[in-house]
Amino acid sequence: MSSAITKNLKIAFFSALLVLAVAYPVLGLKLTIVGIKLEVQGASSAALWAIAAGAIAMFFWQLFRSQLGTAWSHAPKLPRMPSQASDFLTQPSTQRWFILALVLVALSWPFFGSRGAVDIATLILIYVMLGLGLNIVIGLAGLLDLGYVGFYAVGAYSYALLSYYYGLGFWVCLPIAGLMAAFFGFILGFPVLRLRGDYLAIVTLGFGEIIRILLRNMTWLTGGPNGISNIDKPTLFGLSFERRAAEGMQTFHEFFGTAYQSINKVIFLYLIALLLVLITLFVINRLLRMPLGRAWEALREDEIACRALGMNPTVIKLSAFTLGATFAGFAGSFFAARQGLVTPESFTFIESATILAIVVLGGLGSQLGVILAAVVMILLPELMREFSEYRMLMFGALMVLMMIWRPQGLMPMQRPHLELKP
Amino acid sequence: MNKATKQISKLFAAMAMAGVASYSVAADTIKIGLAGPVTGAVAQYGEMQFVGAKMAIEQINKAGGVNGSMLEGVVYDDACDPKQAVAVANKIVNDEVKFVVGHLCSSSTQPASDIYEDEGILMISPASTSPDITSRGYELIFRTIGLDSLQGPTAGNYIADHVKPKNVAVLHDKQQYGEGIATAVKQTLESKGVKVSLFEGLNAGDKDFSAMISKLKQAGVDFVYYGGYHPELGLLLRQSSEKGLKVGFMGPEGVGNKEISAIAGPASEGMLVTLPKSFDQDPKNQALVAAFKAKNEDPTGPFVFPAYAAVQVIAEGIQKAGDTDTAKVAAALRANTFDTPTGALSFDAKGDLKDFSFVVYQWHQDGTKTEAPLN
Amino acid sequence: MPDLYHYLQQLVNGLTVGSTYALIAIGYTMVYGIIGMINFAHGEVYMIGSYITFIVIAGLAMFGINSLPILMIAAFAGSIIVCSAYGYSIERVAYRPLRGGNRLIPLISAIGMSIFLQNLVLLSQDSKDKAIPNPLPGNFVFGESTMNGVVISYIQVLIFVVTFLVMVGLTLFISRSRLGRACRASAEDLKMANLLGINTNNIIALTFVIGAALAAVAAVLLGMQYGVINPHLGFLAGIKAFTAAVLGGIGSIPGAVLGGLVLGVAEAFGADIFGDQYKDVVAFSLLVLVLLFRPTGILGRPEVEKV
Repeated sequence: MSSAITKNLKIAFFSALLVLAVAYPVLGLKLTIVGIKLEVQGASSAALWAIAAGAIAMFFWQLFRSQLGTAWSHAPKLPRMPSQASDFLTQPSTQRWFILALVLVALSWPFFGSRGAVDIATLILIYVMLGLGLNIVIGLAGLLDLGYVGFYAVGAYSYALLSYYYGLGFWVCLPIAGLMAAFFGFILGFPVLRLRGDYLAIVTLGFGEIIRILLRNMTWLTGGPNGISNIDKPTLFGLSFERRAAEGMQTFHEFFGTAYQSINKVIFLYLIALLLVLITLFVINRLLRMPLGRAWEALREDEIACRALGMNPTVIKLSAFTLGATFAGFAGSFFAARQGLVTPESFTFIESATILAIVVLGGLGSQLGVILAAVVMILLPELMREFSEYRMLMFGALMVLMMIWRPQGLMPMQRPHLELKP
Repeated sequence: MNKATKQISKLFAAMAMAGVASYSVAADTIKIGLAGPVTGAVAQYGEMQFVGAKMAIEQINKAGGVNGSMLEGVVYDDACDPKQAVAVANKIVNDEVKFVVGHLCSSSTQPASDIYEDEGILMISPASTSPDITSRGYELIFRTIGLDSLQGPTAGNYIADHVKPKNVAVLHDKQQYGEGIATAVKQTLESKGVKVSLFEGLNAGDKDFSAMISKLKQAGVDFVYYGGYHPELGLLLRQSSEKGLKVGFMGPEGVGNKEISAIAGPASEGMLVTLPKSFDQDPKNQALVAAFKAKNEDPTGPFVFPAYAAVQVIAEGIQKAGDTDTAKVAAALRANTFDTPTGALSFDAKGDLKDFSFVVYQWHQDGTKTEAPLN
Repeated sequence: MPDLYHYLQQLVNGLTVGSTYALIAIGYTMVYGIIGMINFAHGEVYMIGSYITFIVIAGLAMFGINSLPILMIAAFAGSIIVCSAYGYSIERVAYRPLRGGNRLIPLISAIGMSIFLQNLVLLSQDSKDKAIPNPLPGNFVFGESTMNGVVISYIQVLIFVVTFLVMVGLTLFISRSRLGRACRASAEDLKMANLLGINTNNIIALTFVIGAALAAVAAVLLGMQYGVINPHLGFLAGIKAFTAAVLGGIGSIPGAVLGGLVLGVAEAFGADIFGDQYKDVVAFSLLVLVLLFRPTGILGRPEVEKV
């Protein structure tokens, strides 16, 4: 027996054992409560067969890997995207047209989408806004922020509190919420931005948690775990979309003399979200062409070179952090309006992780990518709702697979660049 | 959503349902949305609700359905997340479901009920106990469980009148349910002149309460009320006995779960619990309990029977109204009394049960309970 | 002296909780030291370890075996083997294909892995809290009585001892053994170590296995102390341990232990002074404060910026 086969056999045996060790104890045995005692029961025989089959498959796959590998290389290749096409797709100008096309689709969406579809689209738009905001911080300025959800919470609670205590409307509170979030971003960003990489990550994560815990504990102000409910929905120049208007207000359907249609409310919310996203896109696009935007990217690429060129890294980082927070504040106040209720539990770490996943999945720095990734990340669990309990399992697995399959993101963006050829 | 995806999603829904029970999907069915957490941290309480509701649907269908049509239960997962609850509510509107049994968590029920009321969908929550839900003058929102504001005084009065402690600590898990009840208990105790020296939250999901126990020792407390669920109180009991803190404990129905004895062992002996009358102990429900056991399901959870009752009330409401028009059904619900396994239910104008009483039980270490002595 | 006893007791409480943070934090710190990534799925490995512990203990109890040494050896063995297998597989499946790219990519993959594992256990073992009775009941009492004195349970003592032994053993392993030297070389410069003939793939796999094994040790000890598990406990433990690792200076093993202990004590006193609900605020504020004055943690080496 040649040593190569022995080695393969060893590896194969080891891999098969590994599959058994990973799968059997967790999937093949089940802790069950009998009365008040804990007992171990075996899983169904089907599960056991599946585990055994997995181990055997792994054994043969490892054993004949080299042979299979050569056979595989003869097999017809999956159609790959030609490099020219991918080059074309990642050009900034093409992406701009893509975004324009998406905006047109978004504008016409309420006219053929059902109520649920429009509602999901609204949710997607909230995440697009959050993704675009975080994209400034992570994708453009290269600061790893795991507590972005804190600023989202600040925005949501700003509107909720102002509406609850002072009866202010959505349109007044929207800029205030943005300012509040920006203020928090500024205050929190100031001391921590000299930290690097992962230290910054854990500190921002800590800030996100602190904000959530404070909101939960300051019951006298924020209602504690109950949050604040009955937040007013936005109005259109003073016209409400409710069935019955509050005192001194007029409803949309009364004003135009049409019958009350509840879907109008959903569509109106959707259109506001779309408007906010468009403003966000516009502002960020303008900023990117200003010296500030250029400075963000320069800083991400090489901080030392930037310093040597006389740029002030702290100011540049702080501006990115603050601006990112501002957009989270806008998104937050809209979220509060859509939901009608804010509770601290809406702003947990997993929310930050989702937004981060949107930015990375989209391709760092790419706006089109963020939009597409937000669609994927929000739509995926919704479409998988039918699988109910397997939903989050598949979501987790897909996150891993996506990173392996396309680590550069769905739609990365090319920067204008020059290459020197020797 | 276009037609093709709708078809596919219906297919999946059908597949999912097929695994649960065999429903006769006749052409003429009345869909009942069962909304609650299938995933997430409180999935085990969602399970109680689904088990009860599905059993009711199955039995009603076996008995010939409602006015000749069959009931069909459709499960919607909100993961106890308010954001997803709104998405679920909109999906329910989309699917043209007219009746909903759910949601579980008050924070999900509240935003979802806004949409149901607006869209003419009748909702009965078998589990949400926050007073806010029915305090907004809605017509189509009901519940088959008592309120936090009811349970607190029962517990507070019992402590003040029968336990007569000198120094009480009221703890809670910083969640809507727990803090709501704990606040009510504290107010009752203080109004009766019992000293509450500590009112504090702890973190749900934590495993170590040693710092809290040391604090209780220092404060010289001789009775502890905990508003929250069984995992935390179980650990609190267990660690208290390990650390030699010997005081009485009491909790709401969220702790009245057999598992607390599994967690705390002998330390759970003598704990006091306010519970809705335990329906699975009621002699007239024995056939139903046997039916649950035959399907290898657990009938002891606090939300199983209220969920069963919610479905039954909907079915009988439709029968009484003679129609599936939700406004008429809601009127029928308010006008009639329904004889359910949780007792004779009648609703007030807000949609709450007219009388729903909590009983104080004493817990035993083998997971059983007896009515607490009134001395 | 009730007050003195009270504060001493809180110190002991804090040190116990801190030791458990430390055990899990070592896994984070080792992986970070070598490949510079945050292994977010580490907390879930700990969670799986607790399930294995419970399966072993409950399983043996069904055969009527309840002698403590056998239970503990079996639980340690089972949990360490399975967790190591998980550590190795996670690295192989979710991280190795991503090595060398942007640092954020493995982070997202890790978060995905964490969601996946949590839901895997949720599906196969259901969401109910599972409990076992304390296999090692009993206390040492210092002072007048349990109400007025310092109470230290046997398991708490066991946790201290094991944490200390593990830290010493691991430090010796890293500083003295051949493999340890290879680990240090890889941590210093992965590419260079590779060029010098160290199989860095194996070293990285080894790091994951050691980290997972330590999580398994923590899982057995904590499983015995608290006696309650559910599929969601990995996340919180992971976040806390990660905070401890950063607090102590990520990449340093004594740092992880020190960070864990400091964090535990801060939480105990934070809970005592501000109330239990502010415990996490105290923990994170401490982290921010420490990092403000020592940007690389208590025992971390200052980073040298290279052009």
